[in-house]
Amino acid sequence: MTSITLAPPGAAAGSRARVQAALSAAGVLSIVAVWWIAGDATRFLPGVGEVFGSLPTFLSSPLVWQEAALTTWRVVCSLAIGFVLGTAAAVVMTRMEFWGRVVGAYVAIATAVPSTILALLALFIFRKSDAGVVFVVAVTTFPFIAVLLREGLRSLSGNLDEMTSVYRFGRASAVRHVVLPQVLPYALTALRNEYAHAWKVVVLAELFIINSGMGWQFSQAFDRFQLQRVMHWLLLFVAILLVTEYLIIRPAEQRALRWKERE
Amino acid sequence: MTAQVIEPAVGAVRPLIEVDAVRIGYPGRVAVERIDLTVAENEFVSIIGPSGCGKSTLLHVLSGLNEPLDGAISIRGREATGEVGSRLRAGYVFQDHRLLPWRTVAQNLDIAMKNAGVPKAEWTGRRARYLALLHVAEYENSFPMNLSGGQRQRVSIARALAVEPDVVLMDEPFSGLDEVTARTIRKQLDATRSPHDPSTVFVTHSIREALFLSDRVVMLSRGPARVIKEITIDLPRPRVYDDPRLVVLEQQVVAEVLQQWEIDTDSGEQP
Repeated sequence: MTSITLAPPGAAAGSRARVQAALSAAGVLSIVAVWWIAGDATRFLPGVGEVFGSLPTFLSSPLVWQEAALTTWRVVCSLAIGFVLGTAAAVVMTRMEFWGRVVGAYVAIATAVPSTILALLALFIFRKSDAGVVFVVAVTTFPFIAVLLREGLRSLSGNLDEMTSVYRFGRASAVRHVVLPQVLPYALTALRNEYAHAWKVVVLAELFIINSGMGWQFSQAFDRFQLQRVMHWLLLFVAILLVTEYLIIRPAEQRALRWKERE
Repeated sequence: MTAQVIEPAVGAVRPLIEVDAVRIGYPGRVAVERIDLTVAENEFVSIIGPSGCGKSTLLHVLSGLNEPLDGAISIRGREATGEVGSRLRAGYVFQDHRLLPWRTVAQNLDIAMKNAGVPKAEWTGRRARYLALLHVAEYENSFPMNLSGGQRQRVSIARALAVEPDVVLMDEPFSGLDEVTARTIRKQLDATRSPHDPSTVFVTHSIREALFLSDRVVMLSRGPARVIKEITIDLPRPRVYDDPRLVVLEQQVVAEVLQQWEIDTDSGEQP
């Protein structure tokens, strides 16, 4: 007779998490190793030791945090506007025949326009102002948000719609308890994708349009050939993105979707 | 005790629902040719018929989801065709549970009660009563996806009862469950049935299930449906699922069904 011993589910999950953490750590270490080798072999990439040695001095400057906060604020404002525009476009595309096609065309075109062209356009329209940066990021991100939310609205359950009719749900109650929870996973995916996208675009927009923020600091450091400083800004940029992703967005996503079936 | 097979009955005095010569359909298709049906206050009526004969369509009309093409529907003696949804408060148990998976069991009941206008002061008591009645009280704070199929359907029945309905409409609620779970829930429904419970219209194609649960069984023809027979079951409750009297009655009904439903032996379909 053959006997099979199964590990308890909790133990399996813990083991899987440890393996994933080890793989992530190995990935980060491999990047540092490549940087180490490339830093020694080239003149344009400062060494790991130099960059990390001077990092505390860089981070102790209030200017650094002011500029980081300014760029973060621009990202948050742009994403908020992108979500408002994206939601409106998704609703129109889902609910209206004629205007849905019109808005669908705008969304398709907006998806294809390069951020650089938008930044140049914003420079003409808004001159050197915050509004130009926000315009570029919002217009770049909104079509992707619209497409994801449209998919969410298209996948609404007809069965639950019947249930809300039978139990006489009011409009507000149906939106709050039935529609929004079904669209939420799509909205969270849009947030996660477009948050990272917005950070990449905002740096570009600041570089073109305005004399403040992390993008402008990148450009200043690069123009003066301060390569250590470029790397400092890059490390801060990556740290902000990852910290927000892993400490805010993903936990919020897990909390919002905690109702899903346990394996 | 007697179990009688009778011809279509004359409705009771001031029945809750009177369906008079109702025809139901969709563009290009008639699903129900003509239905005459009465449901008395507190009565448990089952509707049996072959698959696709229009049983569920009839429930849709009684819940206000669809409008009939012809005929009239009265609620407590007053004409209500076209406004059944607003005049008749229904608790609906679908084939699948149709709970909100992102809300807890308690929240599912509370949201339904709120929209049905049940006073907030009564929510906790009604919730506790019906979840306990259906043996799912301990899952009050669980999400539906963490319950078994049978537990979800019990919660769905509790929701239908909690909204203080005039009528509970049940559309083959046990068809997706395993037989043991289905038997257990049927037994609880029968054992806890009181003369003050809301009227229930129960759609099924299981003859034994209908006979076991009902005060009256209405048999429909193949679609487009019409009523071909009504059977009154005056067995006292609680009943026994394998009661010999029910077995005999089922045999009689099956014999009737074999003639009336014109079984297509090639399709392998059984009543």
